[in-house]
Amino acid sequence: MYGTKSKIDLAFEYQSQVAVLRPSIHSRRANLTVKFQDLYGFTVEGNVDDVNVLNEVREKVRQQGRVWWALEASKGANWYLHTTIGQGSALTSSLKFSALANAITLKKLIRKGIPPVLRPKIWFSLSGAAKKKSTVPDSYYDDLTKAVEGKVTPATRQIDHDLPRTFPGHPWLDTPDGHATLRRVLVAYSFRDSDVGYCQGLNYVAALLLLVMKTEEDAFWMLAVLLENVLVNDCYTNNLSGCHVEQRVFKDLLAKKCPRIASHLEALEFDVSLVTTEWFLCLFSKSLPSETTLRVWDVIFYEGAKVIFNVALAIFKMKEDELILTHHVGEVINILQMTTHHLFDPDDLLTVAFDKIGSMTTNTISKQRKKQEPEVMKELDQRIRRLNSLRMEDK
Amino acid sequence: MARNANKSLQAKLVLLGDMGAGKTSLVLRFVKGQFSEYQESTIGAAFFTQVLSLNEATVKFDIWDTAGQERYHSLAPMYYRGAAAAIVVYDITSMDSFVRAKKWVREVQRQANSSLTMLLVANKADLEDERKVSNEEGEEYAKENGLSFLETSAKTAQNVNELFYEIGKRLAKAKSSHETGMRLHSRAGQDRGGLFCCA
Repeated sequence: MYGTKSKIDLAFEYQSQVAVLRPSIHSRRANLTVKFQDLYGFTVEGNVDDVNVLNEVREKVRQQGRVWWALEASKGANWYLHTTIGQGSALTSSLKFSALANAITLKKLIRKGIPPVLRPKIWFSLSGAAKKKSTVPDSYYDDLTKAVEGKVTPATRQIDHDLPRTFPGHPWLDTPDGHATLRRVLVAYSFRDSDVGYCQGLNYVAALLLLVMKTEEDAFWMLAVLLENVLVNDCYTNNLSGCHVEQRVFKDLLAKKCPRIASHLEALEFDVSLVTTEWFLCLFSKSLPSETTLRVWDVIFYEGAKVIFNVALAIFKMKEDELILTHHVGEVINILQMTTHHLFDPDDLLTVAFDKIGSMTTNTISKQRKKQEPEVMKELDQRIRRLNSLRMEDK
Repeated sequence: MARNANKSLQAKLVLLGDMGAGKTSLVLRFVKGQFSEYQESTIGAAFFTQVLSLNEATVKFDIWDTAGQERYHSLAPMYYRGAAAAIVVYDITSMDSFVRAKKWVREVQRQANSSLTMLLVANKADLEDERKVSNEEGEEYAKENGLSFLETSAKTAQNVNELFYEIGKRLAKAKSSHETGMRLHSRAGQDRGGLFCCA
């Protein structure tokens, strides 16, 4: 009966049916768990309340869409591209003012969410992917994928291994077409930057980029700009040193912004990077519901990697009262997992991330990174030496 | 001291091994009794708990299932620090994974706490036709290094429960020998959270 409908329509249909259940005390008492597909085709398991939240979110997305269209009508199409401040010394002061006004509007607007239909276009220009692409010949991606076709490297072997293990069960990603497309993007990137090659985690990031961007070439450029310009260097290379740095910076920030949680977890001997490493490497794609993840990415692509800290801190902050009552590592992890998996309303998370955590500039984060780098390098270096000495003994 | 039946211990257990060796699948078979052919790749690590009731004691496992890709190696100490037991897993259809397993064994012997119980596990025993690492090879290596050795299949469940029971029994035994006063469990900072009694 749904034969002619697209997957997304199907998801809508199912959810609106389920929503009717709300008034029923019986269903609520029974705490019914339902399975359905979300906007991006992921199977979600949730209770009746979760379904209602998702319906509210969908309505908010629609309203947000209207705001964007209205702005386009009043300011002109692509108005958001004219927001660069500071560089245009040739601009007249009135133009500068309008650029500044646009920038402020845009920042607020993006924190409230980019409508899914506009995402490909806006991400592509605001992240710098369009600019990156424009510096090479148009045929770059095609040439690259053709040139590397059929080549076998350690990276391609690992990519092949992970393709069916990337969001298994997804209606498009987990099909021969989905696997082949994801493979081309990941393999192409592994040749573009052989220091990164392939790092587990990128499979999830690239897969989600494909779902949003719709075309593989755009997804490839988004991946490139993310790794080369947005995120801290060496997050995914060799020994993940960049990721180690981020984890240390995060621990310091947690102690500063959420001191009660930090000291309680320290007393439990719970190292927060046990859970946050995955958040940083997969940019929340394995933990948050898809629309919530993408709302986080909206802001990352505009404001930068510091946003990951805001969001990670917010997840802890939201559960402060529960976290400080825990007695055991397992409880902490359960709370954090339950929280992330059920964050169906992106605004619940982003309000805390930006209003309650307080602002952190990219500059302060950079300083923190600089401070941590030598220590991380020293530790990794010592470790490698120890391992090498073990190997020598083996011989 | 003799109330063995009520004894309860909490133990941190870590799984190490090459990517795709089946670490997560082994844990999910044990914890949930489930298996899926294509298990999502683990990033960083995943955490599970399971309680095992033995005659000797009730063992509460905190299981850290780690990411297998080589570059994630640098995160491993965080997971095996303070562990009471480690399972090093390889895939019988991949010689590379066996080589990698040996490296893990060396590292854990050296870096983790000395009372740690380590087992070597050859997984995917159901894929006999594609076998690259013989049973004897694995067994011999385990013997040389004083490890228990089991061939398992997360898919068919072969030896999976046995594996965790074996660990549970060993931990219970180690615990009771501490309790009978031979040597008090040292409470040096880094061993905390490894194996402790909460009965």
